[in-house]
Amino acid sequence: MKHPGEHQLALFAGGDIAGYWERWRISRHVSKCGDCQSEVRALSEASQQLRAIAPDLPADLNWNRLAEEMTGNIRVGLAAGEAIARFDRPVARRPRLGWNAALVLTCATAVFLVAFWMSLPQQQAQHLMAALQRIRVERIGALVKPAAAPQDEVVLEASSSSLDVRENDRTMSLTHPHSDVVTVSVSLHGSAGVRYVDADTGQVTTNKVYYAEP
Amino acid sequence: MRSRSIIGFAAAAGLCAGAANAAAVPKIDLPKDSPVVVLSVDPGDSSEAARGGAMVIDLHAALSLRNATQRRIHGITLAVTAQEITPGGKGSVTLTSLDVAPGETFPVRVDMRLLRPLQASSNVPVEISLDGVLFEDLSFYGNDKLSSRRTMTVSEFEARRDRKYFKSLVAEGGPERLRQEIVESMARQADRPSLDVQVVRGGRATNLDPEKQVQFAFLQLPDSPIEPTEGVARIAGNEVRAPRLEVKNRSDRAIRYLEMGWILRDRSGSEFLAGSVPAELNLAPGKRSPILESATLKFPQHGGQPLAIEGMTGFVSSVEFSDGSVWIPSRADLAAGELQRVISPSDEEQRLFQIYRKRGLKALVAELNKF
Repeated sequence: MKHPGEHQLALFAGGDIAGYWERWRISRHVSKCGDCQSEVRALSEASQQLRAIAPDLPADLNWNRLAEEMTGNIRVGLAAGEAIARFDRPVARRPRLGWNAALVLTCATAVFLVAFWMSLPQQQAQHLMAALQRIRVERIGALVKPAAAPQDEVVLEASSSSLDVRENDRTMSLTHPHSDVVTVSVSLHGSAGVRYVDADTGQVTTNKVYYAEP
Repeated sequence: MRSRSIIGFAAAAGLCAGAANAAAVPKIDLPKDSPVVVLSVDPGDSSEAARGGAMVIDLHAALSLRNATQRRIHGITLAVTAQEITPGGKGSVTLTSLDVAPGETFPVRVDMRLLRPLQASSNVPVEISLDGVLFEDLSFYGNDKLSSRRTMTVSEFEARRDRKYFKSLVAEGGPERLRQEIVESMARQADRPSLDVQVVRGGRATNLDPEKQVQFAFLQLPDSPIEPTEGVARIAGNEVRAPRLEVKNRSDRAIRYLEMGWILRDRSGSEFLAGSVPAELNLAPGKRSPILESATLKFPQHGGQPLAIEGMTGFVSSVEFSDGSVWIPSRADLAAGELQRVISPSDEEQRLFQIYRKRGLKALVAELNKF
């Protein structure tokens, strides 16, 4: 006994079979076939449920497009299943001698380079780095680096020539006239100072810079 | 604090050839009841010029101030801020070892250099305000935002100690004894190594040298109300990080502030004063307290061998009790602990040296006899 197709059963359940003869043939089969009866019953119930929720569906729902999408999804699912099935199949092993040799060679080169770099005196290493950088700049131009992260550090510096508070690329310096004796001092609480005796006035002046507390 | 703004500098700056940008003219801001008044402001040769990719602004202000009180002024601190250039930092100019009589005038020079990117705003408001004034009787006026009261009071105590010491030398052995002491002290000062120092807060460690922990040794000063018991700091190359100390109050009074001097020794055995580790605390008699600092000291290498720090020594350089009185090491403490070799002379001693250099022994003795 040949069962009607799923498409035909769905049309039958909704009362949408076009031809009289076709409708009679399916009706006759369904009345005798338990499987198809239960299928038609399920389709009818689904249809009724759909009618019940029809007011909640969007007014401009495009059933054709929805059907196409669903079909597309089913095809994708089938294709994925096929791919997984292929993946699970045993694959004929190829000889890996070439890759192994390359791996050994790469490791040996890396070990050699690390050992060479570590044995190089610091000055020569820096020289080498500078040379490599110069070559890279000449060949491919300077690399465009992302903008530096904003610095949040404030640096206070005291030297016999000036006293600076630096923040990013801005500096405020307190300067002093040339003096025979300049004393530099810093405090870990966040200040740096320079003391000198003003040759003109004889006054002891101490310039200081501080972190500004918020 | 309500203020009286004196912006006479603007007019003077406008007259100056090659004057600085008008926006860069400092605003001088003194409170209404200020014990000093501004008589004049000389902008000097302020200038502004592009250098490389930056704009350099040189600002000079020579202020003439008058003591408007009936008390003698022994110290003054002016705060200097350039908010737009360095919002995270500010500066100050302090004059100590003064003796300004009521109605007398005295000069204060403020010399600054500001460096900003060319493309940045040209508006550079610089403000000079009064942080504090210390009088002869140790009374103080000011908002003390920069703790200038403590700084000037310690300096005043050191000035009194040193004047007394030098007077005692004259009384013992006459002016020649004073000359001998001054010459020895000047020789020590000439031998004292001086290093450039950076203090960094909120930054990342930049030195890749291996870090090691070094214990502090302590110079025990017999009269000190504080006894340092242990201390350690992390050293990596030319950086010293995060010192931790523990101190004990061995006096019978509560202590609210102390400062530890910090001497570093390098591989060659040379010692130099690296800086100070201050601590605000409330330390009852007999109690102990830790002192922790998170900042980093760096000693930039400007040519020559990098500094290799081998050892550290700490000593108590000043203590403030809860009643506001101050302890400082005596001259005997300084001489006994060989601190004199390392620490710089007091403000007053430095001023007296200058008088000796410029005007000779007679003028120095006359100066000591003034007060």
